[in-house]
Amino acid sequence: MEFLIIHLADKKKKIHECINGFASWFTRDPRHYQIIFLSCFLWYGISALRWDIAAPVLAAAFCACLITQYLFIAFKRCDLHSLKSAMISSLSLCLLLKTNDVYVMLLAGVLSISGKFIFRIKYPSSGKIAAGWKHFFNPTNFGIITTILLTGNAWISPGQWGSAGVMVFCIGILGFAVLLKVKRLDIAITFFTVFCILNFIRSVMVVGWSADVFFHQFTSGTLLLFTFFMITDPVSTPSHKVARIIWAALVAMLAFYLATYQFVNGAPLWALFFLSPATILFDKFFLHPKFSWL
Amino acid sequence: MSTLFKKLIANVELRIADLEKQITKRITRITNDDAKILAALRLLLIVVVMIIPGNARAFCGFYVAKADASLFNKTSQVILVRNGNRTTITMSSDFEGEVKDFAMVVPVPVVLQRNEIRTVTPQIFTTLDGYSGPRLVEYYDENPCEPRIVYDQMVSKMSMADMSTAAASKQESDHYKVKIEARYTVDEYDVLLLSADESSGLEGWLTDNGYRIPEGAREVLQPYINSGMKFFVVKVNPEELKKKGTSFLSPLQISFNSPKFMLPIRLGMANAKGSQDMIVYAFTHTGRVETSNYRTVKVPTDKNVPEFVQNYFGQFYVDTYRKHRREQGAANVFLEYAWDLSGSVMQFCDPCTGTPPMLQDLITAGVDWVQQYHYGYNGNVFFTRLHVTYDRKNFPQDLQFQETPNRENFQARYIITHPAYGEFTCEAGKKYLQDVRQRRTRELQQLAMLTGWETASYSPYINTFNYYPEGAPTYRKVVTPVIKQAPIDTGSNVVPRKDPNQIEQGAFNIPLNDDAGGNENDGASAQWMMIGIGVLLLLLVFSGRRKVVSR
Repeated sequence: MEFLIIHLADKKKKIHECINGFASWFTRDPRHYQIIFLSCFLWYGISALRWDIAAPVLAAAFCACLITQYLFIAFKRCDLHSLKSAMISSLSLCLLLKTNDVYVMLLAGVLSISGKFIFRIKYPSSGKIAAGWKHFFNPTNFGIITTILLTGNAWISPGQWGSAGVMVFCIGILGFAVLLKVKRLDIAITFFTVFCILNFIRSVMVVGWSADVFFHQFTSGTLLLFTFFMITDPVSTPSHKVARIIWAALVAMLAFYLATYQFVNGAPLWALFFLSPATILFDKFFLHPKFSWL
Repeated sequence: MSTLFKKLIANVELRIADLEKQITKRITRITNDDAKILAALRLLLIVVVMIIPGNARAFCGFYVAKADASLFNKTSQVILVRNGNRTTITMSSDFEGEVKDFAMVVPVPVVLQRNEIRTVTPQIFTTLDGYSGPRLVEYYDENPCEPRIVYDQMVSKMSMADMSTAAASKQESDHYKVKIEARYTVDEYDVLLLSADESSGLEGWLTDNGYRIPEGAREVLQPYINSGMKFFVVKVNPEELKKKGTSFLSPLQISFNSPKFMLPIRLGMANAKGSQDMIVYAFTHTGRVETSNYRTVKVPTDKNVPEFVQNYFGQFYVDTYRKHRREQGAANVFLEYAWDLSGSVMQFCDPCTGTPPMLQDLITAGVDWVQQYHYGYNGNVFFTRLHVTYDRKNFPQDLQFQETPNRENFQARYIITHPAYGEFTCEAGKKYLQDVRQRRTRELQQLAMLTGWETASYSPYINTFNYYPEGAPTYRKVVTPVIKQAPIDTGSNVVPRKDPNQIEQGAFNIPLNDDAGGNENDGASAQWMMIGIGVLLLLLVFSGRRKVVSR
């Protein structure tokens, strides 16, 4: 009898350890949360919002991203952890880029990941900061914009989320959770605030639309997704806090200009693409250790 | 073998489509030879189709009924053509009432030149509506116990009650600090292009010049003035109209260069209390048009519905649209049709509910990049039909569009399947009877799901399909007039929901603002689920953090 009790206690302890081990592994890397959140969004989009994504196109995004990443890992002898980043890239591609063509999606996936390994610069060691490589384009953003420019057979669909108030709450809260882990809340807040203020001044104070027009612009799922999940990528943004805030404000201003005066759809994505190389400059003037996921 | 036959069918189908196209395009009368070839090909096709088991669905089905724009109350129709930065807008003028009362104010981004304004024939709207409306198609089962009989194509159309009423004409008005940028007479219309500094001035000017403007127009006029928009103001010139010898107003077409690809709908809401329906027909070079500031959702399509839907197809579609709109959210734009109309395309519709737009129609609509080529035309054209039910609450912003490279065809298509008639004494026949009963049960469920109709009263429909009168031909009975008197193939026991005429009349008169809670209903259950997941994960994040810190 005693033996049985000891045995059971032992089992319980083991299970407990197992769960604890998993929890600590899971919570150590914020990318786990990102993967879960983005998967939820994708599921929501396909099931409730009835997006038209063919299964082969979805599969193409995942295959292209993961295989390209794996090949680069094998070639550069990096560790396998970065496959999680590829997973995030492919989920973001599925959420933001629309196409009917499997090959276009494959191209987008390959471009996203290879952009990460091609457009990067080496930082020399200075003081306490160790030398290292850093890519300056957001992988998904780079993939989306270059695919649109190269093929002309893909598009961004800013209206695809609708604009229900609940969505705002939802994406906001999930994004917030991820950011708490990633410590890049400053970028999201700066970008969102600057973009909001500029739009408020323009559409409510200058042009004179009523407030609901302004709110309607800001309850777009694509904008929130961009704010909380794309621009906040800790690796491709400036490392120093001050630099990040200035940079985010610049992105917001450019996005505002493109959207309001050039009538560009999905303006934040284009703004981020054009301002990504500026990260190099910011990192030159504001020295700070590079971000590491683990 | 089956794939081989499928390919063969596809081939034959293509040829038929090609031939049909050529014939229609020639405009000359169909020669006897052509008709014979066509009939022979059709016969061949049907025979081939019947030989292959289970392949009947590969054929598009016969078009039997359509739902046109006039079913919806207060429906306005607009044709949008986008070519680079050039936009052409054609507005239907289904204005009813004294023509002298007709007035329209449309914000436009630039001052229009005289040659950028013209009137077009109203026929274009009829053509586009007839071509792109939701359609009901029919299939026939074969009797598993009898040799096959080749039947001819039967197309029957339903006449819909025409209940269109005047589109809320946007009436605005005038005065102080208003500059008349241009003044034209375009056929029966007097056109003014105004720019203003203040909405009160514009409002005053319009009122003084006999334009009745609705309450609350000022709050909408001011933003347009501030963003540099001009006002395209139209009134009817009674003398010109008299000269024309008709009391009918022609649609107005305007073209301008502007990077903005949008439709100003806010002014139209100023005087309308409920919601209004608008059908947008868009022509572009590259592909589908979608709204960039609202969600564009497809209407349900390719659904199998009971045979008797044929009698109430108009009502059926109105209810399907409403229910779908309630479920998907009121602040959405609905895609009803999208088709590649490039000159090189073989099939302009499948099946056709009306004549596809031809070169002349395209040119009338303002598609100026196509050229005549042999019997058809040259150039890429893509056609999109969007349906929007807008009101102030759900559509605070004007509709902004974007041209996507998406060239996928789409149509709102509903299918009825007529069972075979006979004794069914053979084994296969018994199984067939069972299958048909199951199918008809599913059809009723589908109907309830699509329209929200109470289908319990239709339950005899499931079992009474095997009834047909003595002496009636086995096939081809399902012609609308016959059915209207007695629903033969649904069984004479079937109880119609109400008096059919009453249903139609009633349904078409109800304004479409039945969006009680429609706004909040935007995929509500899924959203609450998302919130649940969000909160759970948030808890997880915080608990996880504490654990890490404590270590």
